[in-house]
Amino acid sequence: MNKRSLIIALSLVALAATVSAGEHPGRDFIEKNGYKGPATCEECHSGKAREFLSTVHWKHASKVTNVDGLDPDKEYGMKNRIYTMCNGNDIVNNLKEIPKSPETGKTKFVGCNTCHPGNHLSDVGSTGPEAENAIDCLVCHSADYDFRQRKPFKDEKGQVIMGQDRSTKAALAIGKPTAKNCMVCHETAGGGVLIKRGFAFSGEADVHAAKGMVCVDCHKAKNHKMPTGFDPNNWANDGLRLSCSDCHGDKPHKDADLNRHTARIACQTCHIPRTGGAIAKDFTRWEQGADKFYEPTTLKKEANETVPFYAWYNKTVANTPHLIGPKGDRKDKNSKIYPFKIFQGKAFFDKKTGELLSMDFAPPMATGDTLAGVASAAKTLGIKEYQPVPGWQTIFFGSNHLVTRTKALSCEKCHAPNGVLNFKALGYADKEIERLTNADVYFEKLVQKQKEEW
Amino acid sequence: MKRVVSVMALVALVALGVFSFSKVANAEEIKMVGVITKIDIAGKDAHSASITLKDNKTEQPVVIIVNDDLTLDKLKDHRIVEGDEIRLKYEVIDGKNVSKYFRKTAGC
Ligand code: HEC
Ligand code: HEC
Ligand code: HEC
Ligand code: HEC
Ligand code: HEC
Ligand code: HEC
Ligand code: HEC
Repeated sequence: MNKRSLIIALSLVALAATVSAGEHPGRDFIEKNGYKGPATCEECHSGKAREFLSTVHWKHASKVTNVDGLDPDKEYGMKNRIYTMCNGNDIVNNLKEIPKSPETGKTKFVGCNTCHPGNHLSDVGSTGPEAENAIDCLVCHSADYDFRQRKPFKDEKGQVIMGQDRSTKAALAIGKPTAKNCMVCHETAGGGVLIKRGFAFSGEADVHAAKGMVCVDCHKAKNHKMPTGFDPNNWANDGLRLSCSDCHGDKPHKDADLNRHTARIACQTCHIPRTGGAIAKDFTRWEQGADKFYEPTTLKKEANETVPFYAWYNKTVANTPHLIGPKGDRKDKNSKIYPFKIFQGKAFFDKKTGELLSMDFAPPMATGDTLAGVASAAKTLGIKEYQPVPGWQTIFFGSNHLVTRTKALSCEKCHAPNGVLNFKALGYADKEIERLTNADVYFEKLVQKQKEEW
Repeated sequence: MKRVVSVMALVALVALGVFSFSKVANAEEIKMVGVITKIDIAGKDAHSASITLKDNKTEQPVVIIVNDDLTLDKLKDHRIVEGDEIRLKYEVIDGKNVSKYFRKTAGC
């Protein structure tokens, strides 16, 4: 009951905060002059557009220093990466009109770069005044965006354009990005709602959402650089990092027994006991839908429906054609035990080089011919000879949302013989395991707790 | 790699045994995939919407009532529009098909 009133009080505070933060001071100007794209914002926020062009959200790439096998002078990201959650990227699966379905004669627009706040003429990584003017500021900053406008179409010249809502109405609702503004793209990544990372940002699913926090309360952007963490599969970064401890410190508990664990166990391990989203996908065989177009065959799960895999992680990443995952071990003092969302994707590998091949989605989407998709991507990349053979790749995704307090792992969830950790695989000796999986470790404490609770 | 996978499977099994808070499936829930043919929603302040979909399996129209805020918001700002394919679950309550889960099938 105490808790309940606290939550209500907090949400009232949050509400009051949004109301009193009040109207955007530029409102009158925009009302009078109309919205003419970023140039309007630049009247008062000079330099913001140019600054945005150098961020991951515009470039879909950055230098990456913690992943094996990468060239330190090159930039990597969704622009050019080849992996099996998407198998295409902005280059090989560039936004375009796909071939007509032989069954319906219909076509549609598809491309990875639909998740980019440009207009496609000024595309991922473009620079200069035209690019500055193409930025969709409102997709992140407007609370009144009409998403019917944000879809691809062909202009008079036959060029494929990514539409935007540039109405004055939308520009009159400027503010700090809400969770929805961010989820417009992040929720549908990987081929559908909550497919890729599988985290719902709702009060039921996450303590922070329940307290009225939004993405940018944690991902506090600075000059549009967005802090991120060390998800083994999130390579591109703006050079800023965030972690749970930034706000909570390393010893956040009243209970000293819990605090002792934070040296070797990441907060997420206890506080994010579940994952969600796609668990496996087959890019070599696509399924036909009701509209007669094809999609990669995908096994989907809801947020909180799957269990994580626990491994040591020192924030450096193993990267081979068949595995993208955490490096680290018990002896390495920089390693902690983290939870990961496990995903496996089947795609074509080049028998000659062993490398994973990428795919242009346009051909398979129309006809189901996945090898035609590989051929189109190879052509774009200038790969002349290759021998496609199907194979699987395993990816460990960071699991950093869906935070819970009430369902956080309690002592016996790890220290009972059927606990969630595989101590042996984590490098503990049999003698140690005997001690770590004995009720002695937690018995007195939990008896005490039981007494208090009843 | 093989070893990692088998360890994974083991951990998954063990963990499933330990947890008890998975949602109990509701027997009354009906699953369906269909394409939206009509959206009836009374403006920005509406607390409910009536959506007509063509069931992919039966090709018959089905009318669904949507009450949850997250989906209503997507209808209001047109992130969900006519022609979208939806994967949904609903329950029959007082003769009405009430949505319990309403997701677009496509993404990027
Ligand atoms: C007539 C001047 C003017 C115009 C035009 C203008 N703004 Fe502002 N804006 C301000 C002022 C003043 C502030 C408050 C001080 C600050 O944060 O710089 C502000 C604040 C903001 C904030 C911070 C809001 C918050 O609650 O944290 C954002 C975001 C913003 N503006 C975005 C935009 C965007 C996007 C445009 C173009 C659609 C725009 N502004 C156009 C004057 C303007
Ligand atoms: C127009 C689509 C879009 C919107 C809107 C969007 N993102 Fe992203 N975001 C992406 C894409 C695509 C990537 C992946 C880039 C890559 O890895 O190459 C990304 C990456 C990220 C990353 C990791 C890389 C980094 O820059 O640190 C974070 C964190 C992030 N987004 C947070 C947010 C937040 C918070 C918001 C809301 C303010 C938001 N995003 C809005 C598309 C979007
Ligand atoms: C991918 C999402 C995204 C896009 C696109 C975007 N912004 Fe922002 N913007 C943010 C975030 C996140 C913040 C930080 C919000 C906070 O912490 O209060 C921010 C902050 C701001 C601020 C206030 C703080 C500051 O840095 O001065 C202004 C002004 C602003 N943006 C203007 C713009 C303009 C103009 C454009 C288009 C040229 C634009 N933004 C495009 C995400 C975005
Ligand atoms: C309570 C703080 C918090 C909130 C709220 C939050 N995040 Fe995060 N997010 C984090 C932390 C912490 C990490 C990285 C942790 C690490 O790697 O150690 C992260 C990582 C990420 C990443 C990188 C990939 C990954 O999953 O690790 C993306 C993308 C991201 N967040 C997007 C979002 C979006 C979109 C929202 C809003 C819907 C959001 N976040 C809300 C704390 C938060
Ligand atoms: C930007 C700061 C910030 C970051 C980053 C952050 N949190 Fe929080 N967290 C908060 C705030 C603020 C609250 C609400 C505190 C309150 O109301 O007592 C909170 C609440 C919580 C609670 C519930 C506490 C309670 O008493 O109910 C837990 C558990 C928690 N956070 C864990 C985490 C974990 C795990 C991470 C990393 C994935 C994280 N937090 C990242 C700020 C943050
Ligand atoms: C060994 C498991 C474990 C680890 C590691 C762990 N927590 Fe907790 N944490 C818990 C449990 C269990 C609770 C619930 C305690 C309760 O409600 O009685 C909790 C409670 C909390 C609370 C509420 C305050 C309190 O004392 O109850 C916050 C905030 C929190 N954790 C944040 C974090 C952060 C941040 C980290 C990483 C630095 C972290 N936790 C690491 C298990 C853990
Ligand atoms: C996420 C799983 C997890 C949870 C939850 C957890 N522990 Fe542990 N605990 C571990 C691991 C792993 C170690 C070994 C850490 C190391 O290598 O230093 C450990 C070590 C210990 C040790 C030292 C044992 C020894 O002899 O070396 C004690 C005592 C202990 N835990 C008690 C507790 C108590 C009490 C709780 C509940 C408050 C608890 N643990 C919750 C995973 C967990």
